[in-house]
Amino acid sequence: MTNTTAMAEASQAESSVLPDFVRRIPVRPYLALHPVTKATLAMVGAIVAFGVRGWTGPAVVFVAVVVSGAVAGVLRRTLPFALATIPLVASILVVNTFLYPNAKDAIVTVGPLTPTWTGATAALQATLRVVAFGLSAAVFALTTPIDDLLVELERRGLGRRGAFVVGSALGSVPRTVERAREVTDAQRARGMDTEGGLPRRFRGLVPLVGPVVFGALAEVEERTMALEARGFTAPGRRTLLRKLPDSRPQRLARWALLVGSICLVAVSLAGAVKLP
Amino acid sequence: MTAPGSTAPGSTAPVPSIEFEAVSFSYPDGTQALGEVGLRIEPGELVAIVGQNGSGKSTLVRHLNGLLRPTSGRVLLDGLDIRGIHVAGLAARVGLAFQNPDRQLFAGRVAAEVAFGPRNLGLRGAALDERVSSALEAVGLGSDAAANPYDLGYSRRKLLALASVLAMRTPILVLDEPTTGQDARGVARVRAVVAAAAGEGRTVIAISHDMRFVAECFERVAVMRAGRVVLDGAPDVVFGEASWPELRRTYLEPPLAAIEGARLGLGSTPTASRFVAALNDATGRGRISVG
Amino acid sequence: MTAGLVVEGASYRYAGAAERSLRNVSLELAPGRVIGVAGANESGKSTLCLLAAGLAPAVIGGRLEGSVRIDGVETTAIPPHGLAQQCGLLFQNAATQLSNTAATVFEEVAFGPCNLGLPVPEVIERVWWALRAVGVEEIAPRDPARLSGGQGQLVALASVLALRPRYLILDEPTSELDPAGTRLVAETLARIARETGAGILLVEHKMDVLARIADEVVVLAEGSVTLSGPAAAVLADPRLAELGVEPPAGVRLERAVREAGLEWSTALAEAIE
Repeated sequence: MTNTTAMAEASQAESSVLPDFVRRIPVRPYLALHPVTKATLAMVGAIVAFGVRGWTGPAVVFVAVVVSGAVAGVLRRTLPFALATIPLVASILVVNTFLYPNAKDAIVTVGPLTPTWTGATAALQATLRVVAFGLSAAVFALTTPIDDLLVELERRGLGRRGAFVVGSALGSVPRTVERAREVTDAQRARGMDTEGGLPRRFRGLVPLVGPVVFGALAEVEERTMALEARGFTAPGRRTLLRKLPDSRPQRLARWALLVGSICLVAVSLAGAVKLP
Repeated sequence: MTAPGSTAPGSTAPVPSIEFEAVSFSYPDGTQALGEVGLRIEPGELVAIVGQNGSGKSTLVRHLNGLLRPTSGRVLLDGLDIRGIHVAGLAARVGLAFQNPDRQLFAGRVAAEVAFGPRNLGLRGAALDERVSSALEAVGLGSDAAANPYDLGYSRRKLLALASVLAMRTPILVLDEPTTGQDARGVARVRAVVAAAAGEGRTVIAISHDMRFVAECFERVAVMRAGRVVLDGAPDVVFGEASWPELRRTYLEPPLAAIEGARLGLGSTPTASRFVAALNDATGRGRISVG
Repeated sequence: MTAGLVVEGASYRYAGAAERSLRNVSLELAPGRVIGVAGANESGKSTLCLLAAGLAPAVIGGRLEGSVRIDGVETTAIPPHGLAQQCGLLFQNAATQLSNTAATVFEEVAFGPCNLGLPVPEVIERVWWALRAVGVEEIAPRDPARLSGGQGQLVALASVLALRPRYLILDEPTSELDPAGTRLVAETLARIARETGAGILLVEHKMDVLARIADEVVVLAEGSVTLSGPAAAVLADPRLAELGVEPPAGVRLERAVREAGLEWSTALAEAIE
């Protein structure tokens, strides 16, 4: 497998420089922001979307999120997240339009149902808040690799166990899914019926869930030993290979946005400033 | 199609022929795992399927009980397309023992684990008990019926998984890597099971990396590479010198007996006993002198 | 300082177990040598691995009688992260050894050195060294979760090597690999023993692997050592079969020829080499 050119290249690369595929510094504008900045933006988005009275707050957040999503190139992938808010939005629309307290301006009267304009307006505003928040969270999730966030958290003192627990839990999801699929195959091959009524499906849970759980548990001891064998319990701080670029302007901006958004909400709720 | 459980306990349903008719299979992400595989297996044949990991062996056998469906082509049992029959229905005719026993063991007692399959096929009471005890005997776990499966070592858990499929008395038996991770005693048990099934006229199909197991227990070997069958025939053909270039491309090596037989000019000798017989023959005729 | 991984008169009982899994086992692994361990399933081979690596009793509990020493120091006197740097341990299933937190093979192999808190330049150097020693530097950017069985085992091997242990203990590393993967791992182990001077303890069912790379072979039965000595001698011992071990192909062939009443002449034996 080793040949001289590969070794020559390798020793060139080896000069204490982290390979690019490990550094993984994105170049696209929004993506290049520090993960804590992106997290702050998401948080500010949530605060403003829900906290500021009137249309302006959520509308501004919505526009900002769509713009940043477009700049980051993830806008299309936010669609599933937007669609996921539909059930909640539907119930908001129904509840508010038909049951808004003390609303007198009915749109139409159909038997006992009286949808009101006030209710409908409130419903739409609430919908905008939910959608703005949802998209804000989506853009954050889509532009921030978990690994980046964990590295930063660990750098700020999260501790190797915390980072490991989160990281490996997420990393083990695909494997668990695959194991569940193998277990299902094995049980179906022995004639287990996966179609049929609820009681039958319920009885089918034990042969499906059992091996997945037992398998995971049986692995725990071996995994623990494997971790020990790789020095996981060594004292002191773990070396972090990756370093994500941060800058003073970003740090200032994070604080400014956070403080500013909280003030805005406070002021708006107090009624001192009336935004449309 | 024979309804599950309609055969008298203890007897084997008529063994169907198997035909893969230009079967292709691609995964949802687009990777092609099988490319127009055509293979016909007569009732009662003992067939070993070999090849590198990723060559499509497991994918191919999962088409036999409907776990996977061809993206094109047909799978026929006794000439009838199995497309419309669901997996639970095919389980009465095709028993598939998986490589990793821990992906199926769930019962608290060995006997309950073995009973799962035949119970799904509709057996109860005395008939069910008979199936369970004879399957456990066949793999040498007769005295462990009340044990907890996870108290058995890996070797015996693997035999337990095999027993749980044997108890279904399917006319077609498919074994995915039955000897991997087994010690010598475990391998001997597996060979006995294969021989017994053959004696009852069942079709036995095994995926294996153990070329000696393949050469000594199976009458036909299908070699797969990149989703296709590239060699298909009796062991002395598949492991004979003429096939070596193809085997090399599959990163497989013939059994040592075959290599040495060829080196000494004894013809094709895939097993130790064939090697010795050929050597006997050749020295008797004075072709090789051994001091 | 006496170099070598020495197990002396060791008996071990798992926590809560009624019986001992190992009885009075002794073996000595010198740097640069490969010792193969064979035996029927449940004969104590895996327990021996845990003992030699110091994980038993330190991490998993249980009771040890006798002594296990790495380069003169009792394993019970070394903390787990210290043991990790002297004695690398590899299990059968490559997937359980992945940290599941690394995006690339490079970072997976770096997991160990990073855990030790080594400076970044040293981590990088060790990773490239380990990747090259195992011959997998080309797959450094790949996702560890998407490797083939053989590649996964090699990456696990590199991950352990990155801690620069003097001794490597492997528990059936080729069990789930195809013939090509098995050959690759076996050849890599032999090369590592030669080039880095690591002492290797290798548990295997595939006697052909041990025939190829082991200097000595130890056979366990019910927790005790029943045969031990130079590989060629032990693998040709007629008692192997009754101990639940399948002799290597060459030995089997020779035996079949002799049983047929034919002489196994040196000419024939040379033809088989």
